Amino acid sequence: MVTLDVRPQLLDALSALRDRVAAARFPLPLAGAPRARANRDELLAQLDDYLVPRLRDPEAPLLAVVGGSTGAGKSTLVNSLVGRRVSEAGVLRPTTRTPVLVCHPEDHHWFSGMRVLPDLTRVWVPQQDPTDDLLLPGENPARVLRVETVETLPPGLALLDAPDIDSLVSDNRVLAAELICAADIWVMVTTAARYADAVPWHMLRTAKEYDVTLVTVLDRVPHQVVNEVSRQYAALLTKAGLGHVPRFTVPELPESAWGGGLLPASAVAQLRTWLVHQAQDPAARQEVLARTAYGVLDSLKSRMPALAGAAAAQYAAALRLTAAVEGAYDSEHTRVRGRLQSGAVLAGDALKRWRAFPLDCTAGELLDALVESLSALLLCAVTAADERVDDAWRREPAAAAPELAVRDSAADSAEHRIGLAVRRWRRELEEYAEDEVRELDRALAPDPELVAALVATSLLGGRRGRMAGESLAERIGAHGALRLRDRAGRLLTEHVERVLHAERERRLAPLDALDIHPEPQAELIAALSVLQKER
Amino acid sequence: MTAVTDQDHTEHADQPDDADQAGSDGSSAESSAGASSAEASQDTSGGRSQEHSDHDPHARVRDGRTDATDAWDDGLIARRVNETTEGNRFPTADSRSATPPAVTPLVYDGVLRSRLEALRELVGLSRTRLDSRTLAGAGRVLDEASARRRLSGQHTVVAIAGATGSGKSQLFNALAGVTISETGVRRPTTAAPIACSWSDGAASLIERLGIPPRLRRRPLPTGDAESQLRGLVLIDLPDHDSAAVQHREHVDRILGLVDAVIWVVDPEKYADAVLHERYLRPMAAHAEVMFVVLNQIDRLPGEAAEQVLDDLRRLLDEDGIALGEYGEPGTTVLALSALTGDGVGELREALGQFVAERGAPARRISADVDIAAARLWPVYATRRRTGLSEQAREEFADRLADAVGATAAGEAAERAWLRNANRACGTPWLRLWRWYQDRGEPATGRLPSRTQADEEATARQRVEQAVRTVADRASAGLPAPWAQAVREAAARGSQGLPEALDELSVRAGVPTGRPPRPGWWPVAVLSQASMTILQFLGGLWLLGQIVGVMAPNLGVPVLLMVIGIVGGPLIEWSCRLAARGPARRYGLEAERRLREAAAGCGRARVLDPVAAELLRYREVREQYGRVVGA
Repeated sequence: MVTLDVRPQLLDALSALRDRVAAARFPLPLAGAPRARANRDELLAQLDDYLVPRLRDPEAPLLAVVGGSTGAGKSTLVNSLVGRRVSEAGVLRPTTRTPVLVCHPEDHHWFSGMRVLPDLTRVWVPQQDPTDDLLLPGENPARVLRVETVETLPPGLALLDAPDIDSLVSDNRVLAAELICAADIWVMVTTAARYADAVPWHMLRTAKEYDVTLVTVLDRVPHQVVNEVSRQYAALLTKAGLGHVPRFTVPELPESAWGGGLLPASAVAQLRTWLVHQAQDPAARQEVLARTAYGVLDSLKSRMPALAGAAAAQYAAALRLTAAVEGAYDSEHTRVRGRLQSGAVLAGDALKRWRAFPLDCTAGELLDALVESLSALLLCAVTAADERVDDAWRREPAAAAPELAVRDSAADSAEHRIGLAVRRWRRELEEYAEDEVRELDRALAPDPELVAALVATSLLGGRRGRMAGESLAERIGAHGALRLRDRAGRLLTEHVERVLHAERERRLAPLDALDIHPEPQAELIAALSVLQKER
Repeated sequence: MTAVTDQDHTEHADQPDDADQAGSDGSSAESSAGASSAEASQDTSGGRSQEHSDHDPHARVRDGRTDATDAWDDGLIARRVNETTEGNRFPTADSRSATPPAVTPLVYDGVLRSRLEALRELVGLSRTRLDSRTLAGAGRVLDEASARRRLSGQHTVVAIAGATGSGKSQLFNALAGVTISETGVRRPTTAAPIACSWSDGAASLIERLGIPPRLRRRPLPTGDAESQLRGLVLIDLPDHDSAAVQHREHVDRILGLVDAVIWVVDPEKYADAVLHERYLRPMAAHAEVMFVVLNQIDRLPGEAAEQVLDDLRRLLDEDGIALGEYGEPGTTVLALSALTGDGVGELREALGQFVAERGAPARRISADVDIAAARLWPVYATRRRTGLSEQAREEFADRLADAVGATAAGEAAERAWLRNANRACGTPWLRLWRWYQDRGEPATGRLPSRTQADEEATARQRVEQAVRTVADRASAGLPAPWAQAVREAAARGSQGLPEALDELSVRAGVPTGRPPRPGWWPVAVLSQASMTILQFLGGLWLLGQIVGVMAPNLGVPVLLMVIGIVGGPLIEWSCRLAARGPARRYGLEAERRLREAAAGCGRARVLDPVAAELLRYREVREQYGRVVGA
């Protein structure tokens, strides 16, 4: 027989694993991401609500969660088991909106604290008028757990009436799954009309996967078909590999659900006896605990790698997105360099100015035109890169993340930033020219602005700007011209690089803000292997 | 008997035998036709429809089943339902005559016809712009609409759908008045759809649903009831929520083909998420061709039935389904018990009226068109006014003008003209001084470069940016595929645009050589010359007096000289003032020429294709408007 022995190392490993799971994020909308998010939440809920508290306090009462489809008669079953109306039952669906936990008064302290189900607020006051609840569906009672104490339930056993697993209210569905995950004993309730439905079977398969202690109740079976239906159901269970699961049949009686009354004790006696036996017989209790706990621990072996895989997929997608951005900006940078070299800046307006220089155009005007042309070149490169990135991202499902769609107020601000950078370059260039002219210390020293314009032209004009270089050399000497040109060239390269780099960083900023790293994958696997070692 | 078995695939040859047997058995429902005539015709029709069933429904069922076995290993009860008495107890309907009776095809009214026509146009127009997956839904609606139109318009095909154990088959039997579809406690019970036709001529309709002849039935002829429901073809569907996947596939396929649906819910399952989320919400547009009946009210005590019915109405309302209350069109919601027969009469009456109206097929197709249109909404609809604004066009022209340097060229031309004018009208002394100055000045780049033709004179980056901006402007607010098309059109147009602008700026640029001169120019030059002559004259006169050749007369020559000295600069100054206007005009003219040439080039290459693309979109949008019916 399996027994539950818990060493502190195991608990440590488990809390480490829990933290890793809690830290895992799947922000990119990849194909598997919603699934991974749901799995993560489910796993986290199971660790927080069940595994960690259970391993920490093995002596805590057994918690049996009653789950099933809408109208399966879960509340009626719980009421009948404790012999009192603790959970409202009714004909309108969904009936149970607030989960109800029933336990013996002595066990109350186990559940009143935040030991299990820490997300749920506890309420003790029973709701006076159930119709209030129906009239105010907006007041979300989903995140509330009502704790009831009854003397009729033996100590060491608690029952939890969960909402429907297939409720129309999706919050209820999530809550139901979370509650079921917190159970030592899963009580799956289905009915004669429902036993072949897909949804409960999905739940049963999950229970089988986790190898938890499971018991099924076939509820509301009309008398005349009891044998046939239960035979069919048994055959289905056997076929699904769940033949060993204890089955209980509860007949449909006039006083059952529709009136919200209690079933006679005889109808649920078998189930009650079984549950009480599990709670009170130490051996049976140990087995129940160990089975569910180890089942969940074992299920980590497949669930953690799945999470790690999803984390890796996230990272890979983020890498692809980053690579698209970097590739686009790099190729645009190359293009800009090529264009600068070929003198593309000295074209259009700037070229016309240069042709008119110096007779019909001042140095200042020429410099203005060049600066404008340079910022046009850079702006064009940046928008082209952005367009390329958009194109590449359109093919990536991960790029649909809402965080990535928020772009800073687009091209205008880029134009503004580039304009600033280019004007700063011009100012620095003029300063260089002034330095150079001052060094000349000649009576006939040329105007610094003229020098700056000539340097800019020779730098940006490619072949066409050669004349400017020659003219500059004539004015300030070949040596000075060369030095000035080199300095200005370095300055230009620096500024262009800085502009493109800044724009690339801006583009990558939302992606970086998502904080997707390769570490979670490794950490998840590492936490799992530590846990495996400690078992 | 309801399940399709593996035997059926392999033993088609058995069918005529089955039919023979059925005829000779002469079971309860076989009463409307003679046994002997049925025998003969069934042979032929059985063979005919056998072919049909060979490709269609059986193949599908078989596929579905293999899939299902892979996906679900939990054992499907459906497969083990006793199928041994397959189709023997009841005669098959609509197979008694080899030539079906003359069928009046369905006629759609004008509105629906035009909407379908618009949808067809829309699909045709958008095929090159949208991927086929987007258009598949609309294509399917068109196919189904035309397929349904060819078939009988006197019949209304109504499917009974619902969850397992809601009592679909029970209701089916209650309406037919005879046990046609097996009911039972096993879940799920019905595995394959069964058809029941209240009048002749519906064979092709049922065939379209892929229901084999052996699953076609006739109701119990009760005279009154039969005439009430004349024209009804009732289909009993399998469940949609059991673990048996192929049932769901059957349901989904047939729900897409029938004219109306009766949703059967029961007090236990009426709030199931799968029913509401998977079926009712997406079918909200079909509210007018839907019935929702709450079955098994006999299981509810007293007023609980009313309560549940109200709750059901509330849920349907939340699903967005219009309820047919107070005479408004919408879903009819009824409570009944198929077991006790309570409320079945009401449903029969409602159905009878519904069928007699014969409007269901058209309404269904119309709702299908609505849904297809709603699905296509994101690829056609815009949130704001689209199109290329005048402002965007002007901005584009401005950017192109910048790219060819129109402003700078104009200014340069203006200044050159002014310079020339000043030089021409200036005093000779000033000219002399300038000439002297120029000699000392080192030459700049202007002299050699004037002569060579510029390569790539147009700023490539500005052209690129201009095209991108105008494409962005034009495609702003358009749905993604159309925006893409606009951008592509702009990009195609922009190829070769810089080269064209290069060539054009050479052609339309400032003509080299001397700029034209205004008419007063010779006068100015002449008077400037005469001023110089006056100076000389006065000087010579004075010189003559000094030398003593001439009589001493100081006043006149000094006056002449003063006039010459003062008048020269005066004329120069006034000429400069006068030249400013023409120079400005000349510069502006040069700029305008270049700008217009560039704008024209851009319009022809970029704006026109973009506008054409926008026009195409507007056309499609109009068609879409017609489809929506607004």
